[in-house]
Amino acid sequence: MRIGAVPRAEARAGLLLVSPFAVLLAAFLLLPLAYALWMSLHRSTLVTGSVFAGADNYLQALRDPEFARGAGRVVLYGLVQTPILIGLALFAALVTDATVSRVSKMFRMAMFAPYAVPGVIGALMWGFLYSPSLGPLTGAAEAIGLGRPDFTGKDLVFASIVNVSTWQWVGYNMIVLYSALQAVPGDLCEAATIDGAGAVRIAVRIKTPMIRSAIVMATVFTVIGTLQLFVEPFMLQPFNPGTITDSYVPNLYAYSQAFSYQRYEYSAALSFALGAIVFVCSYAFLLVTRRRSVTR
Amino acid sequence: MDVRRMRRMRPKVTAVMLFLVAVLGPAACAGGGAKAGDGPVEVELWSWSAGFQPVVDHFNATHPDIKIRWTNAGTGEDEYTKLQTALKAGRGAPDVVMLEYAELPTIQLTKHLVDLGKYGANDLKDEYVGWAWDQVSDGDSVYAVPVDAGPMALIYRKDLFQAHGLTVPTTWAQYAELARQVKKVAPNSYLTDFGSNDGLFVTALAWQGGARHFTYSPSKLPNIGITIDSPETKKVLTYWEELVRGGAVDTAPYWTTDFYNGLSSGKYFSLIAASWTPDTMASVAKATAGKWAVAPLPQWGDGKDVQASWGGSAFAVTDQSKHPEQAARVALELFGKDLKAWRTGIDTAYLFPTSKAVQKETYFIDHQWPFFGGQKVNEIFRKASDGIGDYEWSPFSDYVFSQLSEQINKAVADRSSWTAAVTTVQGKVTAHATEQGFVVNK
Repeated sequence: MRIGAVPRAEARAGLLLVSPFAVLLAAFLLLPLAYALWMSLHRSTLVTGSVFAGADNYLQALRDPEFARGAGRVVLYGLVQTPILIGLALFAALVTDATVSRVSKMFRMAMFAPYAVPGVIGALMWGFLYSPSLGPLTGAAEAIGLGRPDFTGKDLVFASIVNVSTWQWVGYNMIVLYSALQAVPGDLCEAATIDGAGAVRIAVRIKTPMIRSAIVMATVFTVIGTLQLFVEPFMLQPFNPGTITDSYVPNLYAYSQAFSYQRYEYSAALSFALGAIVFVCSYAFLLVTRRRSVTR
Repeated sequence: MDVRRMRRMRPKVTAVMLFLVAVLGPAACAGGGAKAGDGPVEVELWSWSAGFQPVVDHFNATHPDIKIRWTNAGTGEDEYTKLQTALKAGRGAPDVVMLEYAELPTIQLTKHLVDLGKYGANDLKDEYVGWAWDQVSDGDSVYAVPVDAGPMALIYRKDLFQAHGLTVPTTWAQYAELARQVKKVAPNSYLTDFGSNDGLFVTALAWQGGARHFTYSPSKLPNIGITIDSPETKKVLTYWEELVRGGAVDTAPYWTTDFYNGLSSGKYFSLIAASWTPDTMASVAKATAGKWAVAPLPQWGDGKDVQASWGGSAFAVTDQSKHPEQAARVALELFGKDLKAWRTGIDTAYLFPTSKAVQKETYFIDHQWPFFGGQKVNEIFRKASDGIGDYEWSPFSDYVFSQLSEQINKAVADRSSWTAAVTTVQGKVTAHATEQGFVVNK
């Protein structure tokens, strides 16, 4: 037996143990992915049947101005939303970590609660809050002299969506970062206190660098999540279909291509194209952060 | 059935869940639903409208050899998403499905509908009003059996009209004048709301204005005529553009809370409606029951009588049915010549019958609606139904309606030209049709 090789019985047990996961992974991720890929290489029209189309669908996606606009929108959205989400989450995590009281526990719960609300319901609820004639926000804005803003209108819809997903996701990221903070050794902070560092300085200079990898991970997840934006525009669309069009974001575009227009093949190609964008963006982010840590 | 087009609200939630169900568990929703052997053959039926159970019960009681399993699979687009997914998957579709006339060509084109002409559907031809039969048939091929229609009318707040001394308009010119008048006498109210988010509504208005957006029938494939940007469409949309731009009508999207609130709060003095609207209104604007009245739809000129249908639906049999013969009988006989079934449907599902015999029944005509202060509204809707002419839908209605709604909504938001929006829709729909393999004629 070679050194390092696994005994046969152990290997068999190992295979058996991973098999439930492997089966589910294959059935619900790999196979659908392969099917979608196969579909994206074909093209069928309503009049004729399905034919092999090679890269045609992808070339069309590249030239599709609506897809480009949607992709541009989610990239911009990611650039705006990611710093807001991570910044707020980090701030909240540091504050709750530094203060130990019943209030901070309550605060942590309250921050996390929106994440427990299903996205669909959250967006629906915000739809009512944004409503021009029934929603309290319009009335409040009017009362402080801001006129009657149309929250789902052309000028504000982007900010409205950012607001909804911030509400939903800050708590989640906060918990991730907060858990990482629990692993920061207490004696380190104690030593810093003895050296005369205040709470703010400890948070910025010690705790934040210590949880750097958790921040990177939360950011990568956020980048991926923001680029796949779907639920918020999908649910807010009925309130203003002229602004939130079917091609507002790539995921919504792919959805409507498949389920409203029966263009399943093109929809599959759009999904892969979006997947490529997500991959490039998150990889670029990782590359940048890694390079920085090397040069430091 | 009532074709409430709450299309884009509630349906989407279920659409997402359904998408998941369709992807994850096609086996869970057993297809066909029929079992062999003794006992009645089971036929699965999808339709919307909550009050459908008594009609199904009546059928099961009178047909010992067939047992309908009824599922309310959602209204309109909601149901179509499920149906398309099931048809694409090859399993999971019902035997009999309710489809709007506008959706019928889309499903028919995918070759998933059984030609009911082979099961004696043509014998029933004379039972139905002519235009409805034209909607479901192509020569001797019959792709569905008509159920209800959506003849249009103007419903208005009788009390508010009286209080402000307003006259019920008979032409669109008078209606526009009235809209401006309402704005003067009640600055916070509107004569009506224009729901540009409802493509079928916009289409119905254009239809009444003389527009015909498509020339299409399955037998003429792959040819299709597309004339969305006709002068008639532009006339109708320019009319509404001026009212919207002048602030004389509101633009809250239809079937949203803001819209319902406008109906129940007196913000809207009137509403352009179809025969199924009262059902929706009675539930969302309960507080105003008894204050509304129905008048004929305004006309494009004195003394004219041109009508259109906003919605309306039929029963089709899918090719996934293992018992097409029994399924065809469900489609043909669920209402068919059965007056009792029609009565039940009228009472509980608020449907406007396409059966000639039922339309003549005093029971139907003399029915007094408490919501309209006891008015016999079917007298007006029936007259409107008589005036409905032909209209050919495209086999990609979902695309057309969503483009119409998107472009006009954009025009409203940007305050840009609606006629330019119509030209854009024409271009986009033409491109879509060409890409889908059609030969497009102007």
